[in-house]
Amino acid sequence: MSLRWPEIVPPRAALAFAAGVVALAVAPWVLGLSPYSHNLVTLAFLMVSGALAWNWMGGFVGQVSFGHAAMFGLGGFVAARVLLAAPELPAPLAWIAGGLVAGLFALGAHPTLRLRGPYFSIATIGVGEAARLVFTYWEDFTGGSSGLSLPIDSDMKYRLYWWGLGLMALVAAASFLIRRSTLGLQLLAIKADVDAAADVGVSATFYQDLVFCLSGAVVGVSGGLWASYFSFIEPNDMFGFDRSIGFVLMTVIGGVGTVFGPVLGAIVFVLLRQFLLASYPQLYLGLYGLLLIFIILFEPLGLTGLLLRLSRPLRRWADRPAAAPSP
Amino acid sequence: MSLLETRALSKHFGGLRAVDAVDLALHPGEILGVIGPNGAGKTTLFSLMAGSLPPSDGEVLLEGQRISGQPAHRLVRRGVVRTHQIVRPFPNLSVLENVTVAALHAGGRAEGPPRERAREVLEFVGLGDRTHAVPGALTLAGRKRLELARALATAPRVLLLDEVVAGVNPAEAMTLAALIRAIRDRRHVAVIMIEHVMPAVMSLSDRVVVLDHGKKIAEGTPAEVVKHPQVIEAYLGKGHAGAQA
Repeated sequence: MSLRWPEIVPPRAALAFAAGVVALAVAPWVLGLSPYSHNLVTLAFLMVSGALAWNWMGGFVGQVSFGHAAMFGLGGFVAARVLLAAPELPAPLAWIAGGLVAGLFALGAHPTLRLRGPYFSIATIGVGEAARLVFTYWEDFTGGSSGLSLPIDSDMKYRLYWWGLGLMALVAAASFLIRRSTLGLQLLAIKADVDAAADVGVSATFYQDLVFCLSGAVVGVSGGLWASYFSFIEPNDMFGFDRSIGFVLMTVIGGVGTVFGPVLGAIVFVLLRQFLLASYPQLYLGLYGLLLIFIILFEPLGLTGLLLRLSRPLRRWADRPAAAPSP
Repeated sequence: MSLLETRALSKHFGGLRAVDAVDLALHPGEILGVIGPNGAGKTTLFSLMAGSLPPSDGEVLLEGQRISGQPAHRLVRRGVVRTHQIVRPFPNLSVLENVTVAALHAGGRAEGPPRERAREVLEFVGLGDRTHAVPGALTLAGRKRLELARALATAPRVLLLDEVVAGVNPAEAMTLAALIRAIRDRRHVAVIMIEHVMPAVMSLSDRVVVLDHGKKIAEGTPAEVVKHPQVIEAYLGKGHAGAQA
């Protein structure tokens, strides 16, 4: 049996993707990123990964979760606990452990998946807030409101840039493959009409469980990297509701249900946040609210929709019929 | 042995007996018509057979094995699939993708890549040149063909058709009727069809079952059924029982 290039991956897209990843990987040396930018980009990688994974559930399956902070926090605290208990263990193993526990936790949310649309969203708010409270009071595990401190490792903090990039590349590739595969088709069918999907053989509960588990696991891993990055985590921040809202916002800004929209959205979100928090901390949440309203009203596909709209005249110009050759 | 059978199949909604102890049997290679006045329980009967609703009582058997109580998506894999009176394409997927989703769930009864099988089915129903259209761009008759294609892509053994012919113009109704006959003759699928368009159901059906108020009131060949006094009464009211349909 010979290995064949998978049909759903256009070689040019794969090449462009690889080039992008390599460019980002060498950027710190080539561009001589300042520590500030280096940190900002690292955080962006983690947020992009989270937003992409959120989009599997919110964009592909169409179940909008307002509780992803539960998986993020759980992944972070499990990773931190593993690192504290066994400091000699390689950090990636601790992150994976965090992701696994977060994925299992997401599976535990199975009963909420019977709900659809707004009812599901409301249930996830409940689950997310319940998780925040439980883990805030569970001091033996999370250290309560004083949080957990990890030994500071500035070398690790520097290297997290590439770990974050790796995670992001993996999750972005997975997004592309899911969207292009028959799995993605079935998810979109569930999103369109869950009953009609069942009538052609799609088991909505199975695929929702699967995707919620995978999405939760990825968010959990990014929570683990986050814990390593900051060396200090605290339940009210890690499980905070605004973190859940953050995943929703990033994806909506970038384009819900599109493959790479969440990447754009997360980058814009991180930059805006950084700028607003520094300059107008009192306005920051309000401006996000306004942004959200404008996007939902005028461009439901977010920045991706906007780019498509802007590129249309350009493409029309590029495809214009060539002038008739003069005799 | 009958392919699909219901035994004392019932569905109660509170005090309403939507389907009341219905026995029917579908034989291989047969088209069975189900008729009855509005509200007779025809669509509920389909929902029970296709697994969209659990029965209150009674059972559904596929080749002698009990299938009632299983969810719709599992019955599709076993070869029982339904279409809807109001067509429900996935608007966010292309025509080909709509059918490909269904082709993934043929339960081992079909060979070849799902996309190719979907293409073949679309060719069969006459949508071969519309594979890349979105469902919204099709006419109603086109969307009904798409609904048929989606059901056929699951390689069913039993196809439950809920008013496929209704609502389209007479010429299109003729071609849809021919398509249903071809489904039986060329794809060897047994069909149960609910239909209000009498010429269609009378000319297509090998046998007809008549429901009224959830009960089966008559069964037989189309010619027998239209002469049945209870059927005439159900459709036209008392006092017409002597009239010839």
